[in-house]
Amino acid sequence: MNDTRQAGNSQVELNHDLLRAAVKVNTWLLAAVFACVGGLSLFMMTYISLYRGLPDPGQFLNLLGVFLPGYSVSHLGAWIGMFWGALIGAIMAIIFYRIYARSIASQVSEFMASDRPDRDLLGTTLRMDGNYLGLALGTIFALGLLSTTNWLVLRGTAHESRHAALLSEYLPGYSVSVTGSLIGAVEVFACLYLLCLLFSGIYNRTVVLRGR
Amino acid sequence: MDKSGTDKAILMAAFARIDPVALALALGSLCALVLFAMTAILLIKGSPPGIETGDHLSLLGIYLPGYAVNWPGACLGAVYGGILGAIGGFVLALFWNLTHYLYITAIVVRAAWWRMMAE
Repeated sequence: MNDTRQAGNSQVELNHDLLRAAVKVNTWLLAAVFACVGGLSLFMMTYISLYRGLPDPGQFLNLLGVFLPGYSVSHLGAWIGMFWGALIGAIMAIIFYRIYARSIASQVSEFMASDRPDRDLLGTTLRMDGNYLGLALGTIFALGLLSTTNWLVLRGTAHESRHAALLSEYLPGYSVSVTGSLIGAVEVFACLYLLCLLFSGIYNRTVVLRGR
Repeated sequence: MDKSGTDKAILMAAFARIDPVALALALGSLCALVLFAMTAILLIKGSPPGIETGDHLSLLGIYLPGYAVNWPGACLGAVYGGILGAIGGFVLALFWNLTHYLYITAIVVRAAWWRMMAE
């Protein structure tokens, strides 16, 4: 399947089968990386809490057990947490890349219009697309806030969730309720979108300054 | 525009490597800004008399020695955020680039193997 796009003054015909295959490979590679990072992070955080020697180890980290069945700050809980961390990391990576990959087609068009096509295949440095990065991360975290808040509502423990309610310190209008979760999700999306624009701006400028 | 050129461009866009230094700088700056802002928001908003400001956020001090919800703590938090974000960004970029190199190497080796077997 081919798709024709404009690049400068000429038409660029994209091979959609190749694009889809490349996106699929990248999605699985990113899922593997995020699964490792997510799993190991929760595993290490659990063990740090466990070995800090405080009177009540993991007093707050234990609350993750509300969302991750079987998890607790214990030796077994660390392994269960690693499983959940890896699973959630992989799912987040898949959603993230499926959204972010929409920027690749336009990047190819820009690339073909630029003076860079003669570069080595493996010598190209990634340029971040702040819009799609913000869209992807904003969507993931907004969905995360919606699902976790409404899980508390469905469990019937919304009125007891005073820790979750503390998010209203940063997200005005947020509360542990359906309406509050919607307001919070919109605010999280907006904040992350702006932060991603800043992030990609710093990254892309640094890449240019370094002559990559 | 010839087909091989666009195919190569697709592969270059999809398999471009991340610049570890740039990602470390970007993520470090962002983490420093976010941790400073999170602390500063609580300090500016304040808390009712008799209640300690940011008693939950100050639990970060378990992982970041010296961190507290006060102005020096906000600056120290920014430094911690910057360092940890930079390390995280650098490692993430290395992981990403490494998985690509390993994957591409595996494909090239497999292709060479099948070519050799065919001959």
